[in-house]
Amino acid sequence: MLRYWWLGLIFIALLFLPLVIGEFWVHVAIEILILGLFAVSFNMIFGYMGQLSFGHAAYFGVGAYATGLLLVKTSVPLPVALAVSMVTAGLFALVIGYFCVRMTGIYFAILTMAFGQMLYYIIFQWYSFTGGDDGLQGIVPPAWLMSAWAYYYFTLFIVVAAMIVMWFISESPFGYTMRSIRENADRTRFIGINVRKYMLINFVVAGMFAGLAGGLLGPFNRSIAPDLCNWHQSGVPVFMTVIGGPLGFFGPMIGSVIYTFLFAFVTGFTEYWPLTIGLVIVFVVLFMPGGVLGLAQSKFKTLGARDSMAETQGSMDTET
Amino acid sequence: MDASLVFAQFLSGLSRGMMLFLIASGLSLIFGVMNILNFAHATLWLVGAYVCYTFWFLMQDYAFGLWLSIPLAALVLAAIGWVIEVVLIRRVYNRELPEQLLLTYAMVLILGDLIKIIWGVEDKLIERPPLVEGPVFIFGMPFDSYFIFVILIGLSVAVGLWWFLKKTRYGHIVRAAVFSREMVSALGIPIPRIYTGVFALGIFIAGLAGAVQAPVGSITLGMDMAVIIQAFCVVVIGGFGSLLGTFVAALIVGEVYAFSILFWPQGALVLIFIVTAFILIIRPWGLFGTPTRA
Repeated sequence: MLRYWWLGLIFIALLFLPLVIGEFWVHVAIEILILGLFAVSFNMIFGYMGQLSFGHAAYFGVGAYATGLLLVKTSVPLPVALAVSMVTAGLFALVIGYFCVRMTGIYFAILTMAFGQMLYYIIFQWYSFTGGDDGLQGIVPPAWLMSAWAYYYFTLFIVVAAMIVMWFISESPFGYTMRSIRENADRTRFIGINVRKYMLINFVVAGMFAGLAGGLLGPFNRSIAPDLCNWHQSGVPVFMTVIGGPLGFFGPMIGSVIYTFLFAFVTGFTEYWPLTIGLVIVFVVLFMPGGVLGLAQSKFKTLGARDSMAETQGSMDTET
Repeated sequence: MDASLVFAQFLSGLSRGMMLFLIASGLSLIFGVMNILNFAHATLWLVGAYVCYTFWFLMQDYAFGLWLSIPLAALVLAAIGWVIEVVLIRRVYNRELPEQLLLTYAMVLILGDLIKIIWGVEDKLIERPPLVEGPVFIFGMPFDSYFIFVILIGLSVAVGLWWFLKKTRYGHIVRAAVFSREMVSALGIPIPRIYTGVFALGIFIAGLAGAVQAPVGSITLGMDMAVIIQAFCVVVIGGFGSLLGTFVAALIVGEVYAFSILFWPQGALVLIFIVTAFILIIRPWGLFGTPTRA
């Protein structure tokens, strides 16, 4: 565990962070954590399983709506609502994933996207239940989480716990089975592994954590809108992961830091955020394959992500 | 429900299907030949609509204004497509799927904001020339006469593309490149030039579709977002790279939409995704695609 000492340092820094920054940046930090959790959950499918889901916002949105509806219409405590968010998102991922894991490559991307859009339109049209395109307003966190600082520590606690769980999953035999499916699904099948079942389990777990991230968003923003499930939102974890680097566990979280900081910074003086991030993506795709983490790894070998660049450069191929 | 209402609905589905075909055929062509899924296709379609508006605006005193604007807009878009291919797409031929998707997705964001900067946020409206202004009556039901024009354009592009791919030398080269780009390039044919041509042709059709769409209603920012997903659905249902498949699938999606509007208006879009998912599950390679691509 000693090689991960720097993680402890980062965690301690994160504990003291709100003491030195203003309220605005505390909000940004909360958003980084929530979107980062979303992106890390996405990367369980993308980085570890080797499939690109372009409908991951569906589970994020389902989670957000589950918590939002529970907080608005009932009086369950927030932690229970978050647990319900995870389970609901997991159930949706189970049904959708059942069909999606039959596909790979471009078909996987399009099918996840089609299902995601289906959910989006259902939420968008179902006024009586979801509030339609008005969204849900007045999602109030419990009294002890009303201040930005309290919500920061709450989010930090949950996101760190979730990341630890995902870390153990990715380092477990299950996680290595996922890598093996990514490298070569046929050979994995030959050694007696039910590839589809494993992919489905992974899909459901990723969906659950996306749902948890979504659940955290509603009480933070005090409102949610159906756009959370739109395919545009599904693009966000894809950027984050590609900017940060899909091959390390923390890549998407680094991507979230860069993306969200940039968003907070750029939207301060221009409304042309899509143009800015679009140019950033073009730059990253053309000149920085492997993302920031990939760049860092090729420069400083000490940063300890287990999958080396050379080994994985050629093997991110989604086709087998 | 009487037969004439059904027929009118059928025609409206047909014109919607034709519009989808115009968008999806370029998408399918580009994917079939270059193996690149162009997220920005519908955004370029929208650019085509705006460019058509600008030409029309400059020539609005003349009766032929709109009829000249439509082909001009398509040509401008072909030029834009050519530039995009040479500057951006060519650099990612050998990259992985996610990077290619992200690049074209970044184009969606960039082009969307450029539209906002160039044309502003107000909706644009083109006044139609008298020929296609009023409704025509078919079996006593009013039907937008412009839609007849849309259907005719869709059919001509379908026939034109078929003729190009089956009967011309360049069409043969393009079809050969779908099967083996190594073999084609071994015969001394410059693959990058073929790819650039195909991409420009695909964007030309998208621009044409956008220009044809422009006078249908007002031109609105963000119109492309719903359309691109439906175009994906069409391409997936028909099978990537199959022209006939794209045509049939576009008609299916158009008609499904037109008739579900009658019976279940809120569910029209949901139904399209259900149909797509269903077809992907039973035939992952689409109705007319080849299994090898799956």
